[in-house]
Amino acid sequence: MMRPPIILLKDGTENKQGKGQIISNINACQVVADSIRTTLGPRGLDKLIVDSKGATTISNDGATILKLLDIVFPAASTMVDIARSQDAEVGDGTTSVVVLAAEILKQMKPFIEDGVHPQLLIRAIGKACEKTLKNLADLEIKINGETELREMLVKCAATTLSSKLVSQERLFFANMIVDAVNTLDAHLPLNMIGIKKVNGGNLHESRLIKGVAFQKAFSYAGFEMQPKKYSNVKVALLNIELELKAEKENAEMRLTNVSDFQAVVDAEWNILYDKLQKIHDSGANVVLSKLPIGDVATQWFADRDMFCAGRIPQDDLDRLMSACGGSVLTTVSQIDDSVLGKCGKFYEQQVGSERYNFFEDCSKAQACTLLLRGGAEQFIAETERSLHDAIMIVRRAKKNDSIVAGGGAIEMELSRLIREHSKGIEGKDQAFWMAYGQAFEIIPRQLCQNAGLDALDVLNKLRHRHAQGEKWAGIDIHREAVGDNLVACVWEPSIVKRNAITAATEAACLVLSIDQTVKNVRTPSGGAMPGLPGQ
Amino acid sequence: MAMKIPKSGYNRFMKEGAQHFKGTDEAVQRNIEACTELASQIRSAYGPNGMNKMVINHIEKLFVTNDAATILKELEIQHPAARIIIMATEMQEKQIGDNTNTVVILAAALLEHAANLIHMGMTPQEVAAGYEQAAEKALEILPTLVVKEATDMKNIEEVRQYIRSAITSKQYDNEDIIADLVAKACVTTCPANSFNFNVDNIRICKIIGSGVHTSTVMNGMVFKRGAEGEIREARDARIAVYTCPFDLTQTETKGTVLIENADELRNFSKGEEAEVEEQVKAIADNGVKVVVAAGKFGDMYLHFLNKYKIMAVRLTSKFDLRRLCRTVGAQPQARICAPAVNLLGHCDSVAVQEIGDENVVVFDKKSETGKVATIIIRGSSQSRIDDVERAVDDAVNTYKALTKDGKLLAGAGAVEIELAKEIESFGAKAPGLEQYAIKKFAHALETLPKAIAENAGMPTTETLTKLYAEHVAGKKNAGIDIWKRETMDAVVNNIFDLYAGKRLAIKLATDAASTILKVDQIIMSKQATGGPKPRGPKAQDEDDDGMA
Repeated sequence: MMRPPIILLKDGTENKQGKGQIISNINACQVVADSIRTTLGPRGLDKLIVDSKGATTISNDGATILKLLDIVFPAASTMVDIARSQDAEVGDGTTSVVVLAAEILKQMKPFIEDGVHPQLLIRAIGKACEKTLKNLADLEIKINGETELREMLVKCAATTLSSKLVSQERLFFANMIVDAVNTLDAHLPLNMIGIKKVNGGNLHESRLIKGVAFQKAFSYAGFEMQPKKYSNVKVALLNIELELKAEKENAEMRLTNVSDFQAVVDAEWNILYDKLQKIHDSGANVVLSKLPIGDVATQWFADRDMFCAGRIPQDDLDRLMSACGGSVLTTVSQIDDSVLGKCGKFYEQQVGSERYNFFEDCSKAQACTLLLRGGAEQFIAETERSLHDAIMIVRRAKKNDSIVAGGGAIEMELSRLIREHSKGIEGKDQAFWMAYGQAFEIIPRQLCQNAGLDALDVLNKLRHRHAQGEKWAGIDIHREAVGDNLVACVWEPSIVKRNAITAATEAACLVLSIDQTVKNVRTPSGGAMPGLPGQ
Repeated sequence: MAMKIPKSGYNRFMKEGAQHFKGTDEAVQRNIEACTELASQIRSAYGPNGMNKMVINHIEKLFVTNDAATILKELEIQHPAARIIIMATEMQEKQIGDNTNTVVILAAALLEHAANLIHMGMTPQEVAAGYEQAAEKALEILPTLVVKEATDMKNIEEVRQYIRSAITSKQYDNEDIIADLVAKACVTTCPANSFNFNVDNIRICKIIGSGVHTSTVMNGMVFKRGAEGEIREARDARIAVYTCPFDLTQTETKGTVLIENADELRNFSKGEEAEVEEQVKAIADNGVKVVVAAGKFGDMYLHFLNKYKIMAVRLTSKFDLRRLCRTVGAQPQARICAPAVNLLGHCDSVAVQEIGDENVVVFDKKSETGKVATIIIRGSSQSRIDDVERAVDDAVNTYKALTKDGKLLAGAGAVEIELAKEIESFGAKAPGLEQYAIKKFAHALETLPKAIAENAGMPTTETLTKLYAEHVAGKKNAGIDIWKRETMDAVVNNIFDLYAGKRLAIKLATDAASTILKVDQIIMSKQATGGPKPRGPKAQDEDDDGMA
């Protein structure tokens, strides 16, 4: 035949399909999970990632690592997506969700190889997931009462932190975080907890300020003369530039005689002085502005024993507003006592090599600031991420006050329940349910592996205990043994698990349901597709 | 066949590099091959057990879907004959919004069978004529197969059943959840005269996180942005909507303010402040609790809005603004003023909420019916959410088609088999050569149930014979049960297909097939040097901006 082949797709389009494609996608997801597998749990290790710009990040947060890895393989990007979604929804458990999804896929792989139709698997694990979530709802323990609630939050935060860099100090930080979250209003807005990082010192010097703290802003001459300590402070929050300047951009001045000139110059000064006077008259003794405060104003305030700071970042100002009340003013013409923020004390203090301004004992007190100290920059950065995770956990736990035992206990129990249930199922589905149940064991297994324990041995013990009805038996990493994790206070909010299971199952279903990949040529040149692994 | 193809005269008077194919062998067979190849690409995506395809388009956007229209759109098919089929699917997508895969598979099956007939010695024209005759007959029979007519478009339960099968083929394990959401949304927004139902009134808001099962539907609108000012919540609120920025207006003509003496300078900014306050106060006096504007909120205005406890929301898309007006019943103002009370909208609750880690503004009309409903889709990954969105889209379109024509056919392959049976017997009565073509048309119809069975991993031939046996025995609604792997009554199991959709699909597929058959010559001029111009990223769908 002389016929040239039929060209259906554009030249250069990559097209892969069939069973091999599913297997190769599963393998790719496995590779992704492998890369963060070792970060799981209290004995998990961190990863050091140098990005394309040369910036270094040390982290054991799954979502952070995956984000930085820049994965381009299409199916594997699903894994990154679920880590992100877990991060968005709960804030922690990002590593476990990826590891779990990869394990479900791994368990399903032999079935695919044996020729089971993927849709059957999808249907089965979807059903199994539903059942698991129901089991989870039955298992979770609801916490009632104020003190119990607080204790629960501390424990949940501590469990999260135990797998992070700062695990040594977890109780210290857990208490701090719970206090921080408790200051917030009903919406629990995340941005009302400021986190400030100061190099130097040690972790123990970190502290929670029930109020707002920020680095001293750039200041003009005259600043030295201002008092740095007040009690019963009235704060004026401004969005005005206190400086000699044109009132209006495109205004023009036309003068007819010389005497007018001096009047106009005086008027410009008077406008500024008017503003300053109004602020002073309102009774404010601390003036903060988003925009610069010039040296005339600085000195003017200094003469009247007032403190001022310009160029305060927006988020600090927002926090001040919700801590002290008052509102940010764009004009001072109507300034009075009602729009001023009020707080108990204000002072400036040296922290490490920086000077910080502190506002404490605030009237509304719905914001707080965590001041982190620590050695290396990366170390503090990772501490910040860990605390962020813990804060998220506490926020979620506060809204959903039910918990489960961590340390692999809940996974073992869910695994057992599913497998038990599967025995009552007729047909092929039984095998799929079994495999799905099996997949949950990856969490305790990985915990053991990372901690250097004999995974086989520990899992045997765990299965044994769970079979005997000890539903909260889990791994106690610190004692390197099996124990009741509910008593040992390894607690996690059940919502973390619920979301992780849902996300992992959905991701697994998605990957299983793809039987063909078509990649078109990229219009702008460059960006070659990396070879598909596992083929 | 192995002979060198003789050069035709064409090459002499065409530019060098032009391609030219002629005759049954070269043109017709090649076209048919291309189309079958195309169908084989997306055949496995058909039916409830269809598999997803992962398509990465030319700007590296990832699609995971089994929606044929999307796959074909992103595949960038080049073959001219295959493009004809794609055009047919586009038509189907526009008209009905569903059943696109049916068109491709049916058209390709028709062509495949035509190839056999041509091999036997029939001319393509005869085949095409036979097909057209058969299609005509099929469309004649189709109305007699209508099993049900959707009458009450306001009944959630009923609507749910009808749109369920459209979703089943897209989101196999979530069909019930999505059907619930869509049915509720459709019924909520359906006007008294359901004929005027507008697809645009069902909005979709995609937020990553949690799982598909936590998706919800609400009466009102959701925007993925926070509030501008300090006020984050308003209940039982009057709403003023502005299509302009909420800021001091700058004149178009460049002008300068002339200041003559020192007093004027001093009073200058005072005047401005007073004016702004007066405006905001006037708005507040009308009972407005929420101000929505298309542009930036000026600092000064924001200051006074905060002072008068008015919530400020900024929307960037003018389409969103228009929809919001429809939702809350507000008349948009082109400049900052205090609108009369009857021009203001009303909403039970406007609040900033946190969904996932996204701050959204929710305009919630608590009542049962309204103008616009929003489906909030959650899911663990972007591609998953996108695919759910497509399923929702198809379902909403199905609802729309139902409001136009409420006739329903039995699904699950039942109607195809019945048609095939009828046409087969019709063919036997045909006197001429077209008899062959008509019979092949019947066989082509079988391809659809066959694909369902095949994708479900059932023995195809066995299933088909079983189905035929039942149909001949008079069970007109016998279809494939992919769960129990046997046959069942589609109507009893509430599996319906749209009459309008099926009808158009058959028509379009036949048209496409006969068009392709009638082509006997292909001339392709040489592509312009330098290659095709690289297409920039596709302009965002105007409906999507601001929501995406």
